[in-house]
Amino acid sequence: MAATVITITSGKGGVGKTTTTANLSVALAAQGKKVVAIDADIGLRNLDVVLGLENRIVYDLVDVVEGVCRLRQAMIKDKRVNELYLIPAAQSRDKTAVTPQDMIELTDQLRDEFDFILIDSPAGIEQGFKNAIAPADRVLIVTTPEMSAVRDADRIIGLIESEEKGPGDLIINRLRIDMVRRGDMLGTDDVIDVLAINLIGIVPDDEAIIVSTNRGRPVTLENHSQAGQAFKNIARRVMGENVPFIKLEEDDTFFKRLSRKLGIRN
Amino acid sequence: MDRITIKGTSDGLIVYLGAGAWSRLMEELEAHLSQKASFFKGGRVALHVGPRRLTTPQLESVGELLIRHNVSLWAIESDSPSTQSAAAELGLEVSLSPRQVTDWTARILPQGNSLVIQRTLRSGQVINHPGHVVIIGDVNPGAEIRAGGSVVVWGRLRGMVHAGLGEEGIKAVVCALQFSPTQLRISSLIARSPAEDDSRDNLPEMASVQNNQIVAEAWQK
Repeated sequence: MAATVITITSGKGGVGKTTTTANLSVALAAQGKKVVAIDADIGLRNLDVVLGLENRIVYDLVDVVEGVCRLRQAMIKDKRVNELYLIPAAQSRDKTAVTPQDMIELTDQLRDEFDFILIDSPAGIEQGFKNAIAPADRVLIVTTPEMSAVRDADRIIGLIESEEKGPGDLIINRLRIDMVRRGDMLGTDDVIDVLAINLIGIVPDDEAIIVSTNRGRPVTLENHSQAGQAFKNIARRVMGENVPFIKLEEDDTFFKRLSRKLGIRN
Repeated sequence: MDRITIKGTSDGLIVYLGAGAWSRLMEELEAHLSQKASFFKGGRVALHVGPRRLTTPQLESVGELLIRHNVSLWAIESDSPSTQSAAAELGLEVSLSPRQVTDWTARILPQGNSLVIQRTLRSGQVINHPGHVVIIGDVNPGAEIRAGGSVVVWGRLRGMVHAGLGEEGIKAVVCALQFSPTQLRISSLIARSPAEDDSRDNLPEMASVQNNQIVAEAWQK
């Protein structure tokens, strides 16, 4: 079994890298794959919180690299799905505690045992990004439909190309179809028009994400969330399946909009 | 010391760098330069680096090493796209055969000293070139081209272009299939795109200097 190392990155912060990493990890594991998620955001760790595993951290990525513990000891098993492990980032150190070579060696130790190794990259284009990208076989670039996020994604794609890691695949996160229709938000076509890379998923803006992040329970574990379904589809596309894109419809009927205006919850 | 091979051609010397650690190769190159100082002195050198991936700072340091021995670096030949773009950023030639330009190209670009880049320039990527620059691909917002001569974009131009930095000055032109640069400079003149004008976005246009002003016009024959 030779794992595929997938790095999730974006350039800009706050566009949903960690949420994407968490949900894809869960979705891939739910498909019966053996998955390990690595938080490469040393000093600003988050993936453990989003996965709800924060209180189980004993050792972290830097401990492994520095030989304080064995690799196995730093791997936290997520009990809600079959084969999902998390290697958390250190919170008290910074990006310079790890080198790109360390990341390559670490993932090489895991490759034989797993199907997928997902790396959650920090924002930015400095050392942390370079660490996260070094072992990658594939790169997923997350952006939101905003000019500034698209600009940063474009910069990141340029850097990934110069590292010869291919242009990568694009995830457009937090799309609001109602705003796109009104012409107030960039649409999928506008984003693809600039970035010109393969689109692997569109995730609608969904309040359930915020709730799930706070609870440490990724939306992919729920059955009824639109965003969760989108992440499940991305996971299947990552596995090589040809899954058609969900047609994003406003779930708003006239009456729902009216009742919201009147302050009636539904 | 046989990882470095040196050949003389009508275009000057070509130094072939073989495999091995980059720092070691640099030491060996320095040894060659000091041993055969009279042979190298005042000459110009093209480096052939094969598939090796080199960064802009690495290329700069080779350039400085050569200059210390009175040799100038004018071209890098490499199969690696990242090395080629690093070389292009420093304004170095990326092909060793600039003299094989066909007559047809020469008619359009009289100086023949042009750089052709066949990919999309993304945000943060900068091209510096003393001659003309031809991009076959898009120039995205946040990308920059600085050219001594004219700039031709066979694609969408949405980044920043500064043409005419060299002798050609205000005779330089900038054209693109879809012309909406963030900012356009020719020689010392600056212009920016009109705020929102979707009507003309899809037509090829050419900008040139007329009466000391940059003017963009539909590109028609």
